[in-house]
Amino acid sequence: MRFVDEFRDAELGRALAGEILGLVEPGRHYKVMEVCGGHTHSIYKYGVDDLLPTNVELVHGPGCPVCVIPMGRVDDGIALAHIEGVIFTCFGDMMRVPGSRGTLLDAKAAGADVRMVYSPLDALRIAKEHPDREVIFYAIGFETTAPSTALTLKRARAERVTNFSCMCNHVTIVPPLRALLESPDLRLDGFVGPGHVSTIVGARPFEFIPADYGKPVVISGFEPLDILQSVAMILRQIAAGRCEVENQYTRVVPYDGNLRALEVMAEVFELRPHFEWRGLGFISHSGLRLSDAYADLDAERRFGVPGVRVADPKACQCGEVLKGVIKPWECKVFGTACTPERPIGTCMVSSEGACAAYYNYGRFARDREVV
Amino acid sequence: MSCGAEHCITCGDDGVPMRVLRLDDERGLALCADGEGAHHTVETALVEPVAPGDELLVHAGVALVAL
Repeated sequence: MRFVDEFRDAELGRALAGEILGLVEPGRHYKVMEVCGGHTHSIYKYGVDDLLPTNVELVHGPGCPVCVIPMGRVDDGIALAHIEGVIFTCFGDMMRVPGSRGTLLDAKAAGADVRMVYSPLDALRIAKEHPDREVIFYAIGFETTAPSTALTLKRARAERVTNFSCMCNHVTIVPPLRALLESPDLRLDGFVGPGHVSTIVGARPFEFIPADYGKPVVISGFEPLDILQSVAMILRQIAAGRCEVENQYTRVVPYDGNLRALEVMAEVFELRPHFEWRGLGFISHSGLRLSDAYADLDAERRFGVPGVRVADPKACQCGEVLKGVIKPWECKVFGTACTPERPIGTCMVSSEGACAAYYNYGRFARDREVV
Repeated sequence: MSCGAEHCITCGDDGVPMRVLRLDDERGLALCADGEGAHHTVETALVEPVAPGDELLVHAGVALVAL
């Protein structure tokens, strides 16, 4: 397939690995964070980190939307799902995220009508098929997914679907990156920037990272050669003493993003004063809620939610994993009490989560050989 | 496009290349086929105008970019 096969070419991959080897300074340790969960997944699926020299370490960032949902928001969703007559819809991975008293799957087993959808449009279709029921869509995701929710809410308004509403948990990518960069226990040399978030927001919002923190950023695609090339571009910047935002994913990402998507998001959403992130705590202006113009489609305002804050489980070190301070397998419960079948922390739930990706693909590759 | 144990495409900041088969101009929707031939209804508001045969990058039911 076009845009896929050529980015999985083994010969080109070997050449890039050789180039990367030539760019690193012996004795220096390089830590590069891939922000996006999609990159984490690709890195483990294709063994990208096995092609890197041992002194180039990939650190997994907070870019999996499922992994950063705090328990209290899961509990709020479950409370909505248990309301008589409600059909509660959400993406597949969200159903397995543990709240303080179980998951949405457990709620379904207990009688709640919880359904998995592939898109908000599917949830709207269910609402049209069941005009006598209230249909709630549990929206999660970064700026990649937020336009999809926004367009669906506009469509619900245009088509006068009154039994549809949305519990909005959308988050924005820049505030958590700034919070990470302010974290005293973090030492990074550069960022592999998120590819599909950038199709919406563009590359420009990441310019503060080189400007304020002196770290290079390379927006990257998701195929194995995309990621290898992005690592090479970061190392080339470091070797040359440069520090800027570069766009490796030019076949998809316009530098200024998608203005139509940004407009529709600005119409439907507004920033919350603060939003809680799993493991990272409250971050100012990092979450979205529905704007006053769309208040009638806001499930939180239509039904009310308990809104109780629940502390992360003590045994779980998702926060340190999300900040890249520890590797997934260094967590006390990794692979023992916490597995993809019975997750304690959210990083083990989604296949984009660092722990699940490590568990599924990489747990035997802790001691890498030099390429 | 599945949310199986392997990969959750909708919440993984993931994009799926699809080809436009047919347009519903009135509703701003397109019938598209993914690489395996499976059909999907896709919102095209962010990438219009599109025509049958165009390739789109789709995330959570919305075309983000025309390839």
